[in-house]
Amino acid sequence: MDIQLKRGLLDVCVLKAIKTEDSYGYKIIKDVKPYIELSESTLYTILKRLETAQMLTVHTAEHGGRLRKYYHITEKGLKRIEEFKEEWKEIMSIYKFVIKEDEGDD
Amino acid sequence: MTKQEFITQLREKLGGLPQADIEERVTFYCEMIDDRIEDGITEEDAVNEMGSVDDIVSQIIADTPLTKLVKEKIKSKRKLRAWEIVLIAVGSPVWAALLIGALAVIFSLWVSLWAVIVSLWAVDVSLAATAVGSVISGIVFIYTGSTAQGIFVIGAGILCAGLFIFLLFACKALTKLSVVLTKKIVLGIKNCFIKKEEA
Repeated sequence: MDIQLKRGLLDVCVLKAIKTEDSYGYKIIKDVKPYIELSESTLYTILKRLETAQMLTVHTAEHGGRLRKYYHITEKGLKRIEEFKEEWKEIMSIYKFVIKEDEGDD
Repeated sequence: MTKQEFITQLREKLGGLPQADIEERVTFYCEMIDDRIEDGITEEDAVNEMGSVDDIVSQIIADTPLTKLVKEKIKSKRKLRAWEIVLIAVGSPVWAALLIGALAVIFSLWVSLWAVIVSLWAVDVSLAATAVGSVISGIVFIYTGSTAQGIFVIGAGILCAGLFIFLLFACKALTKLSVVLTKKIVLGIKNCFIKKEEA
């Protein structure tokens, strides 16, 4: 997959993973992994990028006698997911056009 | 590999990064391993799932802006230079005197060059004045009856005018040369400072 495309998709996947409730690193990886490959170092970079873009906030909470970082989606993050849905409606219609052309060739 | 070994290796190999960045990364991987262990995975498997330390480090370095790395490098170099600062301060009576001496020599050469040019211009201006004065006084001589003297003085004046024109070209050329030379000297001094900063 194209690197830029994958980067954009991963951003949205991570945002989706924290959309319904705040989540932490390992859980995000577990939730996203069935759909797209995501390593620890990649996740770190994505979380940093989304935090800088103010699409999520970080807070630390105690869990089982140690500290764990939790990620919370912001309004901007939610907006990004909605934008993604709109963008992909357009992409899907292009995809259908490309598929149709292929069928015509066959 | 145990979690402790993994963390120690990671910390060592991230040495070139700012301390706060290293701690943040280490905390992140610690949490990842701890969460896996809590999920029922053995410590060794949990560490293995992180991938090799070298791969992680190379990705982290690729993600870190070059400016950050350079800044960190300069910082650590400056710490090493603490004793050099002392040496510079202690040696100041020697190097400061030499530096001032060298600058004084350059400055005096530059001043004497311009002094020569200024005096040449003065000679040229006086030649022009003499030429005008001689011609006027020559005409006065002729009107008062001393024709021979008058013609002689006018001749001297014309000679002065000729010398004036000749010297004018020489002065102009020399002035231009000095301006170029002055610019070169200034540039040379500036370069000395830039080189010192680079080193």
